[in-house]
Amino acid sequence: MTREKGLHRSSPMASFVLLLVLVGVVLAVPSLIVEGAILLGVACLAIISGDRPAQFLRRLRFVTLFALVLFIAQALSIHTGRIFVASPVRITAGGLLAGAKMALRFLVILSASALFVRTTDPDRLAQGLIRAGIPYRYGYLLILALRFVPFFQDELRSVREAQRVRGIEVSVRSPRWIAHAARYTFVPVLVSGLHRVESIAISMKGRCFGLYSKRTTSREEPRSGWSVVALGIAGAAIALAAVAARGRWT
Amino acid sequence: MLSSERFDIAISDLSVRYPDRDSEALAGFSETIAAGEVVAVAGPSGCGKTTLCRTLAGFVPSMIPAAVSGDVCLGGNSIRGVAPEALATRIGLVQQDPDAQICTLSAWQEVAFGPENLCLPAPEVRARVERGLAELGIAHLRDRVTTTLSGGEKQRLAIASILAMEPRVLLFDEPTANLDPRGVQTLFATLSDFGRAEKRTLVVIEHRIDALRALAPRLVLLDRGKTVERYPARERIDYAEVGLRGAWALPAPETTSGSPRIVVDRISFGYDEALWRDLSFTLREGEVLVVIGPNGGGKTSLLRLLAGLASSRTGTIERARGTQVGFVFQHPHHQIFERTVRQEIELGNLRGAGGVDAGLLDARLAGLEDAAPLSLSLGEQRRLTMATTLARRPNLLLLDEPFIGQDRRNVLWMISRLREVVAAGGTAVLVTHDIPLAAALADRVLYLDRGVYLLGPPDEVFGRLRDLGETAFTPEAWS
Repeated sequence: MTREKGLHRSSPMASFVLLLVLVGVVLAVPSLIVEGAILLGVACLAIISGDRPAQFLRRLRFVTLFALVLFIAQALSIHTGRIFVASPVRITAGGLLAGAKMALRFLVILSASALFVRTTDPDRLAQGLIRAGIPYRYGYLLILALRFVPFFQDELRSVREAQRVRGIEVSVRSPRWIAHAARYTFVPVLVSGLHRVESIAISMKGRCFGLYSKRTTSREEPRSGWSVVALGIAGAAIALAAVAARGRWT
Repeated sequence: MLSSERFDIAISDLSVRYPDRDSEALAGFSETIAAGEVVAVAGPSGCGKTTLCRTLAGFVPSMIPAAVSGDVCLGGNSIRGVAPEALATRIGLVQQDPDAQICTLSAWQEVAFGPENLCLPAPEVRARVERGLAELGIAHLRDRVTTTLSGGEKQRLAIASILAMEPRVLLFDEPTANLDPRGVQTLFATLSDFGRAEKRTLVVIEHRIDALRALAPRLVLLDRGKTVERYPARERIDYAEVGLRGAWALPAPETTSGSPRIVVDRISFGYDEALWRDLSFTLREGEVLVVIGPNGGGKTSLLRLLAGLASSRTGTIERARGTQVGFVFQHPHHQIFERTVRQEIELGNLRGAGGVDAGLLDARLAGLEDAAPLSLSLGEQRRLTMATTLARRPNLLLLDEPFIGQDRRNVLWMISRLREVVAAGGTAVLVTHDIPLAAALADRVLYLDRGVYLLGPPDEVFGRLRDLGETAFTPEAWS
């Protein structure tokens, strides 16, 4: 089972710290070596956490496409250093380096975030944040936001099925049709969502939510060596960033 | 430990009127419920039952705006002005729609949510969670993501999450709505122990009074917001005579089976694992098939396959040429698209089927033509979606749990419409947990469980279920 491997076993807070550190490092230290090393590290973590290499690459397919667009845009718009191509467009060493850094940074942030989402139970993360001192009302905002993602997916599917069985045609061929689609798709989903918000508010109040300024967090966070590993990787990333900054790695 | 405080409920001259309605939801309702008493409240759809529950729990008017007069006292103290979250330490409400009650992402956390809000020590919270999950027979679901549970599983989870708070007064708004017959029997056996052993007060709103026998409740009949009759506990009641569901003597269908309408050949379906394999049957014109079985057995999935909304892993489904599918979903709000009832009926092309006014009259929605469809009661929404579905003149009518939240009159209205479709050469497939109704209505019954299916005439299928020890799925269990 993939759930029992790698970062799935780390505490959500340790995984969260790791994510923040990795994102912080690639934003603070614009170094090709650091970004490449971190991307390689994220790939290794994903594979250790249960992804097959091909699966990891497939998940990055669309992100890579956007990274490529960023690379090309940077390469064409920055003109510093040695000139490789002068016309019809000017491509320079500075442009290529900036493009590669930007693309790698984008890949690191997206792949690390995706890995975090895949390996972290949001309920446990919210509990961890509450334990760390975040007011519980804000912690539950996170849970409720995540609770509504599958809800909207299900509602959208049901509404589309209802349109099919009632013979309501919905397409986005023209502005008039877009308005039609909004009326028969998004409005029912939105109205349903508003009703659901009201019901869940009733349900939460009906179970004493907000009665006291504090609440118990009862689920014990199992100790796992993977929390230490995650924090260790975060520490290593900070050390690498420090070395890179001192050595002016580009 | 429970306090020795008594929590008698005294409701005096309670009236509730919602801002968008002309008539009162409750009109001078008075009742006294002694601590430890078990009371069932029944009555036609829209008679004020849910409003009563929501007012007792303090949600009306503090969270649901309404003009309220009269008073409700709990243990001699008025609840007027008491915040719902404070009242919830003593009164727990299980809502009608379990989906709307679940607010966390894991089953374990959902049950823990209430006790955690009560600031109980963590070991006490954990003990209550384990007890709640075990009592409702869902301990195996503790680590499941709540959005992946079936309707019945969600219902049990919603009940477990309220029981874990151990309130002195428990209000249930149609607790059997999404439960399979086995789940209904288990639930009421649990509630019986829970209520009587610890002198808790139970108020149960239910259309199916036959399901409540284990609780032997006192019965209060409501109509138009007022009490119309009271029956003491253990009194035998003629359900049909007082307008309740529970006993069905339907006239025999007039049609005989015709040529094949839909041929299902060795289909399989499932999510992570196959729910059933190699399911084959042929449905004919003029036939009513009723699908029964435990929660999570794949009944709704089968209807979606028959409607062409999903694909089976294997096998084929062939519909006869000219088949027009009509599908009434389990949740009516998914099938409502317009801003007013009139527009919704016009969208259903009822102009051609005798006009909008005729459609309104037939579905008993006259006077509500300018109301927003989603502001209607569940029973009214269901009649609306049934009317708009029938307006397309389907000859393959698929109905997913259409009787949830419906009174006897609405159920009979739906049955009469279903029989019209069948009499005109159509075919109907109906999913329900109401076994007596299934026995009275079906030409054939299909019992679906994980990996098991039984198909045949009602007597044959119920006989085989009896042999298998699945007595909760036989009509005798509810007579």
